[in-house]
Amino acid sequence: MNKFLLSFIVVCLAGSPLLGQDAVSFKADIAPILINHCLACHGPKKAEGGYRVDTYERFLREGDSGVAAITAGDHDDSESLRRIKSEDEFERMPLEGESLASAEVELIERWITAGAKYDSEDPTSPLATIVPAPTHPAPPEAYPRSVPITAVAFNPDGSQVVTGGYHEVVLWNAADGTLVRRIQNVGQRTYAVRFSNDGQHLVAAGGAPGRLGEARIFNTESGKLVTVLGTTSDVILDVQFNPTGDRLAVAGADSTIRIFEFPAGNLVRTISSHSDWIMAIAWDNEGKRLASASRDKTAKLFDVETGELLVTYSGHSNPVKGVAFHPDNEHIYSAGGDNKVHWWKAADAKKAGELGFGGEVYKLERNGGVITASSADKSIRQIDAAAQKEIRNYGGHADWTLSSAFHEGTKRIVGGAFDGAVKIWNTEDGAEVISFVAAPGVK
Amino acid sequence: MQLSKLRKTIFLTVMSMLMLQGPFVQAQDAQLDRIEVYPAEVRLAGVREQAQLIVTGHYTDGSIQDLTRVATISTGNADVVTVSGTVAHPVANGEATLNIDVDGKATAAKVIVENQDKPQPVSFLYDTLAALSKNSCNAGACHGSPSGKGGFRLSLRAFDPKLDELTLIREDFGRRTNSLDPENSLLLLKPLMKVAHGGGRQIRADDPAYDVIRDWISEGCKMDAADTARPVKIDVYPKSGRVLKKPAVEQQLSVWAHYSDGSVRDVTKLAVYSSSDVEVADVSRNGLVEGLKRGEVAVVVRYLEFIESSFITFIEDVENFVWSDPQVNNYIDDAVDQKLKQLKYLPSDLCTDEEFIRRVYLDVIGILPTLEEVTTFAADQDPEKRDKAVDALLDRPEYSKFWALKWGDLLRLTSGQVTNEGVYKYYRWVERSFRENKPYDQFATELLTATGSTFSNPAANFYRTSKDMNDCVETISQVFLGARLQCAKCHNHPFERWTQDNYYGMAAFFNRVQRKNTKRANEMFIYVSQSGEVTQPRTQQQMKPWVPGQGDIENPNEFDRRLDFASWLTQSDNPFFAKIEVNRIWSQVFGRGIVEPADDFRDTNPPSNAVLLDQLAKDFVDNGYDRKQILATILKSRTYQTSYQPNDFNEDDTKYFSHYQPRLLSAEQLLDAICHVTQVAESFSGLPAGTKATHLPAPDLVNNEFLKIFGQPERQTVCACERTNESNLSMAIQFFNGPLIYGKLKDENNSFRKSITDGKDDGQIITLLYNLAVCRNPSDTELKASLDHIASKEDRVEALEDICWAILNTNEFLFQH
Repeated sequence: MNKFLLSFIVVCLAGSPLLGQDAVSFKADIAPILINHCLACHGPKKAEGGYRVDTYERFLREGDSGVAAITAGDHDDSESLRRIKSEDEFERMPLEGESLASAEVELIERWITAGAKYDSEDPTSPLATIVPAPTHPAPPEAYPRSVPITAVAFNPDGSQVVTGGYHEVVLWNAADGTLVRRIQNVGQRTYAVRFSNDGQHLVAAGGAPGRLGEARIFNTESGKLVTVLGTTSDVILDVQFNPTGDRLAVAGADSTIRIFEFPAGNLVRTISSHSDWIMAIAWDNEGKRLASASRDKTAKLFDVETGELLVTYSGHSNPVKGVAFHPDNEHIYSAGGDNKVHWWKAADAKKAGELGFGGEVYKLERNGGVITASSADKSIRQIDAAAQKEIRNYGGHADWTLSSAFHEGTKRIVGGAFDGAVKIWNTEDGAEVISFVAAPGVK
Repeated sequence: MQLSKLRKTIFLTVMSMLMLQGPFVQAQDAQLDRIEVYPAEVRLAGVREQAQLIVTGHYTDGSIQDLTRVATISTGNADVVTVSGTVAHPVANGEATLNIDVDGKATAAKVIVENQDKPQPVSFLYDTLAALSKNSCNAGACHGSPSGKGGFRLSLRAFDPKLDELTLIREDFGRRTNSLDPENSLLLLKPLMKVAHGGGRQIRADDPAYDVIRDWISEGCKMDAADTARPVKIDVYPKSGRVLKKPAVEQQLSVWAHYSDGSVRDVTKLAVYSSSDVEVADVSRNGLVEGLKRGEVAVVVRYLEFIESSFITFIEDVENFVWSDPQVNNYIDDAVDQKLKQLKYLPSDLCTDEEFIRRVYLDVIGILPTLEEVTTFAADQDPEKRDKAVDALLDRPEYSKFWALKWGDLLRLTSGQVTNEGVYKYYRWVERSFRENKPYDQFATELLTATGSTFSNPAANFYRTSKDMNDCVETISQVFLGARLQCAKCHNHPFERWTQDNYYGMAAFFNRVQRKNTKRANEMFIYVSQSGEVTQPRTQQQMKPWVPGQGDIENPNEFDRRLDFASWLTQSDNPFFAKIEVNRIWSQVFGRGIVEPADDFRDTNPPSNAVLLDQLAKDFVDNGYDRKQILATILKSRTYQTSYQPNDFNEDDTKYFSHYQPRLLSAEQLLDAICHVTQVAESFSGLPAGTKATHLPAPDLVNNEFLKIFGQPERQTVCACERTNESNLSMAIQFFNGPLIYGKLKDENNSFRKSITDGKDDGQIITLLYNLAVCRNPSDTELKASLDHIASKEDRVEALEDICWAILNTNEFLFQH
């Protein structure tokens, strides 16, 4: 069994009824077993035997055989358990895989005996959304090699830069690149880091490719985990606070945008319109509309209050990877796989202009009047958001740049690259201030 | 210690006794004479190297068996090399001997181990991509499809490593690989089904490919260093000549890649295997071949873009089989018999004279013999009469017309493509080539190098139907090289050795051909410009003209590069040219090529009798590419003249020509045959009265429903497969109550009505119909049944209509047999 699974299960089982005789919880005890051992073959992508376990409701349903998987209260009569315990290797589940541990089998038995009850809200919710947030493994003490810098941000006063690492986010001194602090218990990869308006909270959004997506809210001061929002089965690619800071929009590989109250964490609205991953989102200047960039080759604009789709922009004809509002609130910038930044009218999605890059363009980060863009052409561009003009091209990275940010107060731009390098420039003269590899302990 | 050693010895002895049972069972009469190991010496120059050993037993009766799996292989120095199963693995630098023992016979292999003190990084190009190919990740139905699958796209069979590098390492922020925790990479979790994967489980943690991918990721997903040695060829062992007799039908293969630095590596575990005939033999992922029934198979081995085959013959004892020493007319029969004898098939007896005359008329001139021809032949007592009939037929004018029809298909003679006026000229050119028996090399050269007006030089129409460079490459390769190159236009051929470079290299012979309309209506002028290069669309490289086997043409004839191609093609040692034409001719008269389909020569589709094909090709070349001569040789062979009736020892043979395979007449033959039996000609508007269907210059000059239903091709492609003889419901309906047959049966001047007028009696008329349709007299039973039918009917003519209709519906009429 691989390390990740092991640690995942250990975490899930800690304090669980495995040791004592407490009631078995579906969401905390059973769902993780299903996710780790069963879901790959019995899920929405592949439903072997016409049987799925991706929700509680489906787990109980019968498959093609017509035999119900579970007979509540009678584990001897439960088909799923019989197949798990079978001695016949052609019948035993998981087929061709390692058998379940006896402790896991016992948990399932006890849960069935106790009535096979559901202990979350909606029995049709995907399992990934109901399991308690796991405690993630620790990052490497010293990185054997760097990781792509998929997320960077300045802290509110611009003194520090935060980067996404491997199972952590790392804070660095923005003046000299020295390590300030490592915040752990973060998903495998982080695709966006944001500070709340008051700077008290830090959001790290990401997950493990193909397995988990989530947005983790930490107390900036203490580094403690406050809450986990938007848990899903593949990575979260962007999070954005609204201008007033009381809403957090979360979007990613599940093709939806979810809007949460912040910091309360209640889900306010889910917007499902894209047909592929959402790579980036942006609030308008008044917090009334949300723009999104998707791998489905469109950018879209939604009314936040109603969730209604306002317009769709298809001008890229390629995956769209970045999006930002114009300061006039009437135009939207979007960028993507066509190696261009476009700007277009929010009212009718008519293209108004474009700016060419030498490679695909990733997220567009707007801060005040400045938009920064990272690109496979290895540059970071500073764009005057109001004038739709490139102000400066920051070269020097040796690899694709994947993330960027601008800090108005210190007039600094930061760019993170695929090779793990982070560079900070002074926008007043374009000079490079500092360059370092953002992987603690890497040689 | 002693005890455990003893136990181990006992265990091994028992195990080897158990394991030995299999291969020794059938060798009751023969003793194991000696054993041989391959490779006898091997260099393992890196920590990742290994050597698949193959142990072969030679028996006193001359037979051989693969004993790899029963041999005891032990290392002479476990500090240098170890053996797991049948594979040697290096441990530390040094030299050691591997001792191999089977049933008291021993041999040894020398192993030199080097570079164990140095890292050996996984090569992205030659290991990782090969591992993905091995597991079919980049197959056309999976992530190798042009749009990928599930958002993950690889180049088809790794033909574009640059794209794969981007996709695997960079796309979506490096989502697929995790070099800090390699086993947690999506690239491995998905095919393991630890994460849901639309393609299901495709890899196991104990697969060699798994180790390769994981190690490549753990090394940081590195690209190859610029000086990395690249593979230049592969060898497979055993290559050919293996004859395995049931029940010893297993054969382990090993595959060795040779690199640009002179090194050789065992790539058995990364090669991909496929069987050319899955009914004859199966091959496992690891290169273990298992025979299923007697026959021959090419096991195609593929490593990256390199392809080689291992040819294995499987034989078995057939109860009561006795070779009958059948009549041998010429070398064809010798070659066929050699194969039949080995595989224990007995050829059928010779066909009857009635069958022969019908068969050979249909094959040489496309039409049925007249009543006089049938009776004269039957009466002829000359023992050479069949040979004489062949020679006479080849001199008939219908020969050139019928074979021009066949080539008309290949050259796409249609008025739609070369205009009405043009198609007659082109047809006459082709027909005259056959009439004058123009040597085939000259025929091909005239087509390939044609220039000028399509009216004054009709061969120039070749470049009118081949409309552009791509069309030229695909047409010429299929017609003259027997290779279907269409795939290689966009990517390396997924199963064959043709690469995208090859496609555009060939194109560089033909890209300068220019076509322009002249002032004369319907005329086109073909010429060659003196400049213009071909750019390979993927690599953007300018291509030199290239031919298979020889490679780039360094100093092409810049006046007309096609001359270089034609001279290469028609050289006497060209590996394709003569073989493809003799095979095509063979397939025309046997209904099946020695390579089948006849225009699909490839490693995965070996000839059913390579010796026969080689000898025919040699004969053809030696006789100056004389098509009549080779056709005559084929028709005079006993093999051609065997009965269609199988015997107890060849019933299930469809590949080795032990008996004649009946086949439905072609559309044109059938229409002519119906006209022949009813003596009512078909009229084609715009063409002279009496024109036979087999003499039509182009299908689109007429609009004949019957011909279309029976598979007359539209000639839109050069593929021989466009002419289909698969039966379908429309065909059956045509014969039930189709207007064409109905019209001829009702015709006031048809054969039986004329006979009535001429005062013939019923018996004479029935005999006439049988002779016209199937070249023989009716049997007593047939005659009686017919006469009874006439007696039972009030209307004699109607009764004869019924009888004629019934004869037309017999298989004996419909099929060439």
